Amino acid sequence: MQILHYIVARCLHAVPVLIGVTIVVFLSIHLVPGDPIRIMMHGRIADSEVAKIYHDLGMDRPILLQYVVFLKNALAGDLGMSLIQKAPVTTLVVEKLWPTLMLLAFSTALSVLIAVPLSLLAAFRRNSWLDTAIRLGSIIGFAMPSYWIGLLLMLFFGLLLGWLPISGLGDTPLDRLRHLFMPSLTIAFFLAPILLQSLRSAMLDVLTSEHIEVARAKGLSEWRILTKHVLRNAMIPVITVLAVNISWLLSGAVVVEYVFGLPGLGSLLVRSVGYRDYPLIQGLAFVFGVLVIIVNLLADLSYMLIDRRVLRS
Amino acid sequence: MLDKRKLILAALMLSSALGGASIMASAEDVKRGGTLTLARPDEALTFDPFTPSDNGSIYNIMQVCEPLIIADASGTGLEPSLAESWTVSADGLTYDLKLRPGVKFSNGKPLTVEDAIFSMQKVSDPKASFGFAFDAVKSFDKVDDSTLRITLKRPYSALESALSLFAASIVSKADFEKDPAAFGQKPVCTGPFQVESYERGTQVVLVPNPNYWRKGADGKPLPYLDKVVLKYVPESNSRVLGLQNGDFDAVLAVPLNQAAQVKTMDGVTLEVAPSYRLDYVYLNHGKKPFDDKRMRLAINYAANRDAIMKAVYFGYGEQPNSYMPKVNFWSDKVAKIPYDIEKAKALVKEAGYDGTPIQLMVDTGNAPFRTAATVLQQGWQQAGLKVEIVEYDVGTAFSMTQKGEYQAYVSYITSDINDDDELASIQADGTGPTAAFFSNYKNEEVTKLLAQARETGDKAKRAELYGKVQDIVYNDAYSVPLNFLPYVNGYRNTVKNWRNITVGWWWLRDVWLDK
Repeated sequence: MQILHYIVARCLHAVPVLIGVTIVVFLSIHLVPGDPIRIMMHGRIADSEVAKIYHDLGMDRPILLQYVVFLKNALAGDLGMSLIQKAPVTTLVVEKLWPTLMLLAFSTALSVLIAVPLSLLAAFRRNSWLDTAIRLGSIIGFAMPSYWIGLLLMLFFGLLLGWLPISGLGDTPLDRLRHLFMPSLTIAFFLAPILLQSLRSAMLDVLTSEHIEVARAKGLSEWRILTKHVLRNAMIPVITVLAVNISWLLSGAVVVEYVFGLPGLGSLLVRSVGYRDYPLIQGLAFVFGVLVIIVNLLADLSYMLIDRRVLRS
Repeated sequence: MLDKRKLILAALMLSSALGGASIMASAEDVKRGGTLTLARPDEALTFDPFTPSDNGSIYNIMQVCEPLIIADASGTGLEPSLAESWTVSADGLTYDLKLRPGVKFSNGKPLTVEDAIFSMQKVSDPKASFGFAFDAVKSFDKVDDSTLRITLKRPYSALESALSLFAASIVSKADFEKDPAAFGQKPVCTGPFQVESYERGTQVVLVPNPNYWRKGADGKPLPYLDKVVLKYVPESNSRVLGLQNGDFDAVLAVPLNQAAQVKTMDGVTLEVAPSYRLDYVYLNHGKKPFDDKRMRLAINYAANRDAIMKAVYFGYGEQPNSYMPKVNFWSDKVAKIPYDIEKAKALVKEAGYDGTPIQLMVDTGNAPFRTAATVLQQGWQQAGLKVEIVEYDVGTAFSMTQKGEYQAYVSYITSDINDDDELASIQADGTGPTAAFFSNYKNEEVTKLLAQARETGDKAKRAELYGKVQDIVYNDAYSVPLNFLPYVNGYRNTVKNWRNITVGWWWLRDVWLDK
């Protein structure tokens, strides 16, 4: 019951957030010079024709009125028609949503797989050369630009070794995993270091706490301490880091989708901004907003599962 | 006597045997089957030929739909397509086109004059993107079940070229009217291929049109391929890597700084094909300091084109002597303005340059144009000018250009048809709707010459007129032309008959795989 209350409260919170996000995007994209019809036609269209097209589309009305119409339709589930691709925005978004979600899920999984063992090693052997090497390596990985890492991986795995395909999404689920490996690894290069740092300090906190001393005194093996206490308590900062960084993940996905030719929301956003495809940009802003809100909501819900104390507060 | 006859007979037998052998040889040369994977930098937005369109869509549409008259194998000429033949009246105002008999759409329905009239009315609508190309047309009428009549308001020598536009493709009226939106996804046309699947932002898969009318070298209907996959790969490095490791059979737009590397790749050929493209610096004649012809000439004298050709284009292309691309009536007689800093300095002084800073605009992320701008800046500064390079996203930059809020902009232009009229008028006719393509250039003599060239059908006369226009406009320093940039693509040696034609696309119907 408490959980239900919590969820409803959070959903209500989400509404002003969504309105805020969409209004800012709407106003800023309309302030940017350039309009979709002239861009598409490379200027080879008369002003009077352009004016007529925009009038037919209702795009010469006051900005705030256009926004209100957009919001009204969006809440009824209609995100409008893409100006450039001549298809409903919802169709386009749904088509491209799964590749992006798969990419984000795979990247997160890879990052956790990389960060958890390394942070354990670093925490247990703190201040040793191994700890220093791990931390140094993670900072270097974080500092390298994703675009460059992506190309290096392509050259190495795709060209030199020929193990992995260098672009596209693939057909069968297994094929998809092969196609997504390099892009996910590229994102993991900047997500894993963040996770690693938080995990390591969280683990160190736990390892030096009193109840671990008691556990050791009780004769618990290091392995039991690790799984029952350290990992469990360290999950909270991991979830926090992931939830907070979801927006950065989405922007990282934009670069990675472009480099690896993945048909996801990121590359759709880049193209729609370039074309000034207003309805599509709005629709994407709305969807990204919803995505971030859902991820944060799930994060909060999982805290409750891990640590009952959160519910009481 | 007998010997002579025997000789002739022997000669005849030999020649027929050879002739037969050569026909058989070409039929055996061509191999049918296989899938061609082509990586493109542009994505297809729609298959509807009538909506405002981009190259991503146009080049795909041309594999599926056909107009009445079509660009030939090189792109520089025209040949009959769905119109098998046509006659022109003596006054040049009436064209009667005879439809090719027996042509069917991909769904088996026969092509009719009604379909042709419907399509032509759609493309010539003044609101449509290429409506301007049909401005001279009065009406499209049916003469009989196989003849379409085009009546003009005034003579228009570029009509045949206009009819070869992708936008003038003949579509199935019934299928288009039933659901125009679905038509943009799966068009019903008469071309060599039809769309099997269209995943937006990813790829288009084409399969043969079983009813296609053109025959191959072996006497059987085209195309030779079983399947074509047109992939959207915007990242140029990915395209080159994919060519190298065999993911792609052919790739477009090889970045020029990697062209030499592609040349040395095993089993790969680098294609450098002539195009209808000109890279140039747009100048705003309506703003200081380029409202003064001497200033415009000065920056042409101070443009180090040799350095640009080396640093930006790696030697690919040709230094231009024109304000527009090398379309059919290009004149090689117009002398190029040489690189002469002293002359530039003198002109700047003579014009009384008052120190107005010049903003040289470039699209963000366009490294070659950025380099060109840097080289130009160096030369112009040597001539005594204050130049700063500014970068804007391409949509913004173009919008500013259209509004006249610019001084100089490094960009390019391409011709959609193989007739000078389209670009010659758009760029140089100051009375047109785009203010001479945003340059605000006005020259009455040029406007008069262009109108004459548009109305006469005499090729020699047109060549003379366009040559004159080229001379005047180029020497008015309309712009700073940089390069007649060719198409630079790469393809595996197993791909045969591949060719990028001048108007921009490739005829996949003739391509076959030697695998």
